[in-house]
Amino acid sequence: MIDVLLKIIVFGAVVGGIWGLVASGFSLIFGVSRILNFAHGAAFVCSAYVAFMLISSGVNVYASILAGLAVSGLLGILVYSLTRPVRKNEVMVIIVTLALALLIQQILLVNFGDRGISIIPLVKGVVELNNLKVTNMRVTSFILAVVSLVSLDLVISKTSIGKRILATSQDSEAAMLIGIDVERIFILVMVLSSILAGFAGILYAQIFAISPETSLRALIYAFAIVILGGLGSLRGSIVSSFIVGYILVVTITFLGARWSEFVMLLAIVTILVVKPTGLFGVEE
Amino acid sequence: MKISTLFAVLLILISAALPLVIPEAYLYLIGLTYLFAIIVISWDLMVGYTGQVNLGHTTFVGLGAYIAALLQTPLRIGIAVHPAVAIIVGGLAAALVGFVIGVITLRLRGYYFSLVTAILPLVFMQTVFIWRDVFGGEEGFSIAGYALFDTTLSKYYFALILLLVSLAAMLKIVRSRIGLRFMAVRDSEELAESIGIDTTRYKVLAFILSSFFAGIAGAAIVNYRYTVGPELYDIPLMLLVILSAVLGGLGTIYGPLIGSIVIYLAKNWWLRDLISMASLPINDEIVLYAILIAVGILMPRGFFHELQDRLKH
Repeated sequence: MIDVLLKIIVFGAVVGGIWGLVASGFSLIFGVSRILNFAHGAAFVCSAYVAFMLISSGVNVYASILAGLAVSGLLGILVYSLTRPVRKNEVMVIIVTLALALLIQQILLVNFGDRGISIIPLVKGVVELNNLKVTNMRVTSFILAVVSLVSLDLVISKTSIGKRILATSQDSEAAMLIGIDVERIFILVMVLSSILAGFAGILYAQIFAISPETSLRALIYAFAIVILGGLGSLRGSIVSSFIVGYILVVTITFLGARWSEFVMLLAIVTILVVKPTGLFGVEE
Repeated sequence: MKISTLFAVLLILISAALPLVIPEAYLYLIGLTYLFAIIVISWDLMVGYTGQVNLGHTTFVGLGAYIAALLQTPLRIGIAVHPAVAIIVGGLAAALVGFVIGVITLRLRGYYFSLVTAILPLVFMQTVFIWRDVFGGEEGFSIAGYALFDTTLSKYYFALILLLVSLAAMLKIVRSRIGLRFMAVRDSEELAESIGIDTTRYKVLAFILSSFFAGIAGAAIVNYRYTVGPELYDIPLMLLVILSAVLGGLGTIYGPLIGSIVIYLAKNWWLRDLISMASLPINDEIVLYAILIAVGILMPRGFFHELQDRLKH
């Protein structure tokens, strides 16, 4: 019993950290530009595939990972430029980003198949915790994810660029009036968030396997996290990513992976019934 | 008005006369296209008229399909009702699920409806794999021998009549006072509320109606092709619905009707062959998604609106 509990605590933290990287970016993009970026899961998957492709053709591992992150960033710019002409039209923003997500998924499926890939872990070895073997890669991923999330929060709340991002998310027209270049903030947030998702994908691929369909799963978990945390609240999504991570690991341990989407939907519906603004959200 | 009525009558006569000139294999495909058109029009009833983006319309198609199929074949759960009853029950069950989801998500402003409906098809698809011996897993199951009709000709007319009846019903709805309220909700929720429209109620009502027709269409598709499978829940079908409606023009009913016929026939008739001839590393879905992105950005109001504008000037 203690073993199972320990396993859940450790793995839930790892999973929560990785999904936190995806969800915080998704939440940030929504908060700043009011765009529901359905292609956010694509950034998660693309970086891992690019890194995998380069590594298997003999490129230096770190260079490959950087290239993967760069591709994620470019994807952010692509989403920005595709949604720019239709930004005022909520229906079309959702449709265009969803179509882009599925387009990328199909391109990966055609070129790499649906079997899934993984990247050889950069950190080797295991630590043993009361008979539970945890790979060092998982520990490293957790630490890296937490460090990234904390620094993201610090950047947003402490620096002047962060203040400009906050101002834009609170009222983009007022932000424009006091001389903030709102479009540049939009691009910055889009690229930064996509790189965070790409980073999560690189970590994920070193622990589990990534397939084109993982992009949809990543998106669903991001939905659950941001709804639980409150749409647009960065801190809310960071905290709730760990809650969702634990819900996921408990579901997979006791019911099996097939049930994870079920439980996610159930969790979302429960939140929407009980407290629609999420745990940390504010009324608009 | 006179000319358009004449035009409509002419179109109906042509569709009714098609079996005289078209070989049976193509007739089968055209009939299936009519059923697909019902799905697209019913999506437009929700998205085009109330402005709430439903990304899980295939949930209701699949639900109607599976429920009708289970009720029709005694081999599955030991019940065998008349196919017509099964189709109606399929539609009602879809409407009921739509009601529950709608009440939870549509009372909230903004994006919750889209987020939740986006997850729905994936969840319902998992039910097929979890309760494999009831739903038949990835292969689904067959209802051959228990379907409503058994010749291609009778199925073709069944599909045509079902499309015409659904089209008439939905046109009636959007042209009534209820339809006006749907559009008021779409154009300005605050304004609609301020003149006393219960916006949540009308959004939920639109969603129930839209789900009902999707469920009926799903159940009819099963009776048309004799098999039910998880691809009726799946996202490629959802995107095909969205593409057809967006291309045709949201909120026009006629536009999505035309869009669905063009897109479905193109996809199933010649698009795949054309792409495999080009021998590029792409498939037909990539082309369709690219078209959807292009149409969404360049012509967000769709073909029907553009045509109307051209005719006016």
